[in-house]
Amino acid sequence: MSKSFEITRRTALRGLGTALALPILEGMLPSFSQAAPASAGSAPMRLAFFYVPNGVHMQDWTPSTEGTDYALPHILEPLSGLKSDFSILTGLTQSKANANGDGPGDHARALASFLTGCQAKKTHGADIRVGVSADQIAADQIGRFTRFPSLELGCDAGAQSGNCDSGYSCAYSSNIAWKSATQPLVKENNPKSVFERLFTNGRPGESAEARSRRERNQKSVLDFVRDDAQRLRTRLGVNDQRKLDEYLGAVREIELRIAAASKPIDLTAVSGKAIPAGIPGDYGEHIRLMGDLMVLAFQTDVTRVSTFVLANEGSNKSYAFIEVPEGHHDLSHHGNDAAKHEKIKKINRFHIEQFAYVLNKLKSIPEGDGSLLDRCQIVYGSGIGDGNAHNHDNLPVILAGRGAGSLTPGRHIRYENGTPLNNLYLSLLERMGVQAEHMGDSTGRLTNLA
Amino acid sequence: MRRLLAPLAAGALALWFSLQPSNAQESPLPRPSDSPVADFERDVKPFIATYCLKCHVGDKAKGGLAFDKIESEADVRKYRQLAERVRAVLDSGTMPPEDPQPDDRERTAVLNWIEQRVLKVDCSAGIDPGRVTLRRLNKSEYNNTIRDLLLVDFKPADDFPSDDVGYGFDNIGDVLTLPPLLLEKYLAAAEKISETAVLAPDAEPKPIATEKGRTLASVSKTSLEFTAPAAGEYRLRARAWAMQAGDELAKMEILLDDKTIETISVEASGGQGANHDVTVKLEAGKHSFAAKFINDYYKPDDPNPNNRDRNLVVEQMQAFGPLNVLPENLPASHRALVTCRPETPDQLVSCCQKILKPFVSRAWRRPVTDEELSRLISLVEQSVAAGDSFERGLQLALQVVLVSPEFLFRLEPDSQASDSPSVRTINDWELATRLSYFLWSSLPDQELFDLAAAGTLRQGDNLSQQVRRMLKDPRSSALVENFAGQWLNLRLLKTINPDKQRFPGFDDRLRSDMEQETRLFFESVMREDRNIYDLLDSTDTFLNERLAKHYQVPDISGEEFRRVTLPNNQRGGLLGHASILTVTSNPTRTSPVKRGKWVLENIFNAPPPPPPPNVPELKDTKDQQLTGSLRQRMEQHRSNPSCAVCHTQMDTLGFGLENYDAVGGWRDKDGEFAIDASGTLPGGSAFQGPAELRQILKSRRAEFRRCLTEKLLTYALGRGLEYYDECAVNQMVRSIEGNRDTFSAVVLEIVSSDPFQKRRAKRGDEP
Repeated sequence: MSKSFEITRRTALRGLGTALALPILEGMLPSFSQAAPASAGSAPMRLAFFYVPNGVHMQDWTPSTEGTDYALPHILEPLSGLKSDFSILTGLTQSKANANGDGPGDHARALASFLTGCQAKKTHGADIRVGVSADQIAADQIGRFTRFPSLELGCDAGAQSGNCDSGYSCAYSSNIAWKSATQPLVKENNPKSVFERLFTNGRPGESAEARSRRERNQKSVLDFVRDDAQRLRTRLGVNDQRKLDEYLGAVREIELRIAAASKPIDLTAVSGKAIPAGIPGDYGEHIRLMGDLMVLAFQTDVTRVSTFVLANEGSNKSYAFIEVPEGHHDLSHHGNDAAKHEKIKKINRFHIEQFAYVLNKLKSIPEGDGSLLDRCQIVYGSGIGDGNAHNHDNLPVILAGRGAGSLTPGRHIRYENGTPLNNLYLSLLERMGVQAEHMGDSTGRLTNLA
Repeated sequence: MRRLLAPLAAGALALWFSLQPSNAQESPLPRPSDSPVADFERDVKPFIATYCLKCHVGDKAKGGLAFDKIESEADVRKYRQLAERVRAVLDSGTMPPEDPQPDDRERTAVLNWIEQRVLKVDCSAGIDPGRVTLRRLNKSEYNNTIRDLLLVDFKPADDFPSDDVGYGFDNIGDVLTLPPLLLEKYLAAAEKISETAVLAPDAEPKPIATEKGRTLASVSKTSLEFTAPAAGEYRLRARAWAMQAGDELAKMEILLDDKTIETISVEASGGQGANHDVTVKLEAGKHSFAAKFINDYYKPDDPNPNNRDRNLVVEQMQAFGPLNVLPENLPASHRALVTCRPETPDQLVSCCQKILKPFVSRAWRRPVTDEELSRLISLVEQSVAAGDSFERGLQLALQVVLVSPEFLFRLEPDSQASDSPSVRTINDWELATRLSYFLWSSLPDQELFDLAAAGTLRQGDNLSQQVRRMLKDPRSSALVENFAGQWLNLRLLKTINPDKQRFPGFDDRLRSDMEQETRLFFESVMREDRNIYDLLDSTDTFLNERLAKHYQVPDISGEEFRRVTLPNNQRGGLLGHASILTVTSNPTRTSPVKRGKWVLENIFNAPPPPPPPNVPELKDTKDQQLTGSLRQRMEQHRSNPSCAVCHTQMDTLGFGLENYDAVGGWRDKDGEFAIDASGTLPGGSAFQGPAELRQILKSRRAEFRRCLTEKLLTYALGRGLEYYDECAVNQMVRSIEGNRDTFSAVVLEIVSSDPFQKRRAKRGDEP
């Protein structure tokens, strides 16, 4: 008579107002397969970028030998269980983060140029301009295959006031993703909002009828305001038009999303997951929770492209919870003080521990004949090498995942110092089936990744 | 061979400090005007030839800048931005990059020439009001606007992504972008707002209680206890399915307060629950709603495994209601907005007009046109034709109004006439809107709209009367929150985490008390129309018990803040506020550099030049251990002359505040070292401790007046100030001084200034 029955899954799902939890059906895969022609196999390739601010302590980051048989340096030890799943790329350089005549502002430039490969225009606000970021080049071309073209995650909100870095608008030091040269994409930092946006296409307890009426209404609203905006546009100057174009672009993107919402999405992976309550007080938990959401988003294929800024560039966050109460940025100007080096290493290693958590999670999820991680290309790095020197060459960069068999991880690869970081992006984009021939100072694609 | 000194910048700083005290002639931003100006032919041309032409020449000139094409002073003046950039790289020592290097005299001469002959603004040609890029409502503006427009009491924008910051503020048109994520939020917010503001009779009522159900495997029940807020009709819902077996369907009894009111045969099976609703009349108060499984069936021997066991799975129990809202219980927003209801279909259009015409005109902050109105009404008609209620149709129209660019952006469109003048005075609607978003971060109220509609906002002393009224209105607390909160970097306080071991007394409550003190203090200067220099030195402040203890001020008890006359001269004015002292500290110690920089940036709007690129690492000092107090160690650091030139001045200001620890507590010692809070500013003003430093800062009236004016003007306009704004600012500071430097004088000067009243209409010179 006693039967266990797991009611939580179903009620959870209902509570979310999602489409029904469908079993994984091979028949659903064709809509994926057209997405990434370059990738072998049936499941799509994913692309993600993790960013940490203020550089790292390179002496304990860079292995002393090359190839597969290298010893993991102190900072990277948390990745020891994953050694065959990532490579360390040494010598890559983002030369557009250098002053190039613009004076100080290395932190702002480091983040602004990290994925765009372009020189940020030095301005407090008027006419901000850098370039389209690598993730957005991908999102522009393959974003239409998923509900969300890309996902922008972070733990910090944008700056709240003040000047961020030597005459650069705070937009540069808090945004990594740029949809156009003038439009940064703001990060989401509340796990609850991210979850609801990605996975609850409705409201708790809402009837199907009410939901379809809402969707119908949304379409009418968008139709109406698009016409308004187009009419208005003709009466505005160039700068104002640019703002209105952002608006029109957003309208188009959401129209496409509503049209695509009828396509089935397999949300099995989400069932039974509790909706996050909000931003956790614990920073590590916050990073892991955002990481979980990125993993879920990849797993359910609601997006294939994501960025994740662990802290804004120039962050002066205190890491008291790992016995480093000083501010990160202040510490990073270490003046070669050994005690400060130790503390910076602790911070660097803490970030890597969280990264290892996300990689392990991706690895634990089977997909096709391998794992989800096998179908990923994940870059982890900083746009600054050493925080004291503010250099932008020889950057700390990790490339994780197998790129659906197109990458051979497990190595320390040394490139000639000065090799454009943008070459790496071109290589990754090519593997995603994305057309991109040039980025910033790129000189071609990066060799020796396969 | 980089030159690390920045003589001009350092000189400007020194000069700034040596400017005469308050009673002297008002002077614009410090410029090295005393030195003789170089001559283009005699000094500048040879300089270019010697130091620039090696690279910047011909068709392949470095950076695309060919200086051999420069023939005259007039040539240079044509390219202001380029001249500014040349000044910056010369000043910082970035250029020339290698030998030969000009000596300091040559360099200063050319820098002075650029300042005086090229960059100096000619105000005799009239004031250029500039051109503000259209501004999207930021988060706090959105919240306030919705609150005042619809009388709904929630903050839909709290869930929006944060707004980017430019020029120190988050209301700068150029920086406020609109990513798709934000439009999603706008759509969702508009839905929620319209449904909250207008109650639709056919709306799905919200559940007042929800409980997870149970699997009932034998005769048993599961229940939901709930409280009915008012007498009326309620809907009880059980979502259930059954594992069917035997020759009848599973039966579920619905019980209300332990009495059976209905018995339902549950047809659903296979894991797909269906809703079973019962509508009941209830008195206000506690009730119990239960679902009972009454026909258990169990035949474990049945040859058909699917026919052995009947069970009822109740997935969820909910109560909704009350279902019929009496007119007097409608929300205030509904009663204010829905002023009519069409009794017959032919009344629909006129009723829509009655409701929407005033509403849309307020929401869009201008008279709505007939055409716009009829498009909106046709939306309501379509909705009603599709079977929705009138209120539903209205909700849809509301959504459109709130997602429209006319609502989300503050528009000041150009005239479409080709012969329109190059500068236009903004119309009264636009002016009312600029005013209300400046002082209230919200839309104009009825009084402002009425003046705008009558076209009399600028008549007589209407404008100054309105400003005074608005400053007294509670809504002007937005100016405290958004202007002061950003100008003084108060908003950053929540991101600062002082080390718990060193500062065990610091917690989130103290943090918010610190903020509150500064808020109340600024608010008192604003509302009581005090003298702006009270901000720098004052005998009163606002404390509660916790903060008073932190300040060692006796005899204050209780949570609530009150005005307190300070018992001694340890504190007074903003620079004695723990909020500001904490924001400018590191987690483990004070930072005299950050405090000095904060004073220069926010009290005098004279930010120190950024450090030169590639500051040499402090390797030289690595072997010789720095010893002594923080101040002594910093002074040892500064033995490097390339740092000393600017840091002496920044740090001196910071040292004067060393009696305050990293969370703003008073101290006479830092560890074993006595605090030395003395210093001499360039120009010779000497001080002993923060009280004397305050006196010196307070005496720099012209600089602080200009600083506050420029910061407030930036915030009021939503754009960074440009070089040409100097002319307007010069006029403003003169009048402010003439009006005894009251807070309202600053605000009044801003709202009557050309940049606030006018707009450059020409599009040509935009990038």
